[in-house]
Amino acid sequence: MRRRPDSAPDLKALQTAFGRSVRTATANTADLHLLAGSDDATVFGQRLEVYRNNAWQFFLTALERTYPVTQRRVGADFFRQLARDYRVQHPSQHGDLHWIGEAFPAWLADRMQGTGYEWLADLARLEWACETSVAAARRDPVGVESLGRFDADRLPQLALVLQPSLRLVASPFPIWSVWQANQHEDAAAPVDLVAGAEHCAVACIADRVAVYRLDAADHRVLQHLHAGMSLGDATEAAASDAETLGRLLGRLLGWAFGAGLVVQVVKASPA
Amino acid sequence: MPAPVRGPIPARAGIGLRSQHHEGILELASPPAWLEVHTENYFHAGGPAVRALERARSRYPLSLHGVGLGLGSADPIDRGHLERVRDAVQRFEPGLVSEHACWGHVDGEHFNDLLPLPYTEEAVEHLAARVRQVQDFLGRQILIENLSAYVNFASSQLSEGEFLAAVVERSGCGLLLDVNNAYVNASNLGLDLDTFFAALPRHAIQEIHLAGHSRRWVGTRELLIDDHGSAVCDDVWVWYDDALRRFGPVPTLIEWDNDVPPLATLLAEAARADQRLERCHAAAA
Repeated sequence: MRRRPDSAPDLKALQTAFGRSVRTATANTADLHLLAGSDDATVFGQRLEVYRNNAWQFFLTALERTYPVTQRRVGADFFRQLARDYRVQHPSQHGDLHWIGEAFPAWLADRMQGTGYEWLADLARLEWACETSVAAARRDPVGVESLGRFDADRLPQLALVLQPSLRLVASPFPIWSVWQANQHEDAAAPVDLVAGAEHCAVACIADRVAVYRLDAADHRVLQHLHAGMSLGDATEAAASDAETLGRLLGRLLGWAFGAGLVVQVVKASPA
Repeated sequence: MPAPVRGPIPARAGIGLRSQHHEGILELASPPAWLEVHTENYFHAGGPAVRALERARSRYPLSLHGVGLGLGSADPIDRGHLERVRDAVQRFEPGLVSEHACWGHVDGEHFNDLLPLPYTEEAVEHLAARVRQVQDFLGRQILIENLSAYVNFASSQLSEGEFLAAVVERSGCGLLLDVNNAYVNASNLGLDLDTFFAALPRHAIQEIHLAGHSRRWVGTRELLIDDHGSAVCDDVWVWYDDALRRFGPVPTLIEWDNDVPPLATLLAEAARADQRLERCHAAAA
């Protein structure tokens, strides 16, 4: 087998030049020379457009699939511009397209600061929660009757193991309403963006993502339960008004069990 | 998860399983002989795709086809990605595991595309070492697929066929021969298909891909674009016949990833491949 001529680039140098040429709109002359030699540099430069286009389309399509509601709200053209700007600061870091949108909500929060569109970042956070919820493991839920295995006076010391797909998102903006109003391509119902905070729970049940709107108190309790707190401690920690364990049992737990969010009832670990 | 169908992939036609057909694939009176999926779509613990594959896996032999490892990247292999490939292999117990003779990331950026390697001694050695690393990690042989490409590197010293044959010899991997990719390269880069096929080690070819391509003007020339978005063209069927004569009956996949058609269309394409495979089996008997 022939040896590499001394003038030929090594593999790393070649890939660096190729990557730089795909990343930018136009390849520089030195890189083209290194990749193609002097005779074919023009043709090589033209054909790099195929790779440039592929890389961009894969990136954009992945982002569009993760953030369909955000895209619907801002329109395809503006979303495309956002995706271009986002890619400059957050090029793909994985061979798996799933992760391309991971930093998008935080990036969007920076980008939209002070524009009146801060809510877009929280909407994107909700969509990222949906994306990761779908990919999470699923466990068989248990019914509310599983509480019956324990004495009633032990209830405050019990903890709930919740579905691995559960995600909790809170926003000062009505993101659940925006998400709900933009589920289809046709014209969305208008949403009053100053209507105030909304709190959401996302879970993938029976292979479908469900997004629930919770009141603030229930959201706080669920956060504490998700973190492993006992029913008693979670109620106490979340109580800002007359929150009681009775209320919790009567409403939030009934909903959580009914929605299939609880996969196990256990004795809480000592704090 | 129900028990998977184990054993080798049969030397018949299979189809790629895409989300549009997760339900339909379980209800076919005349099912394809086997299925192939992109490994990266099954990296996660749960979700509809994973559960659909678990169901399909109990009825069909399976091949896992990776598109994101970027084996030929000069930068270190993404260990996390490789671990997820291993997890998928352990979970779904595929009959074949394949990757591409390509690279995909440099200086921390992934292009999520199958990028071409120069056909050099250095690249042979590098790719063979990476293939050995993956095979050691997975504890099994993998296949590598010939790439469709749109550029020739000035530094290439070997033909594409010589390059692949050398990687096979030094790594012990098998080959996945994509006839459409070779056809695209013949049109775009002047690859001589007769010479290309002749250079490939017969014993290494364990799977064939057939796919469609589109055409696009780039600069002053019309290029064939390997987009997996249409039926296999007549010329590729002719070269597939040629490949079967040379290499014998080999499991053959109809690869259709974009503008995915109804299942009936995919099965009709698979039937065309099966007819040829049956003739090949008969001739070999």
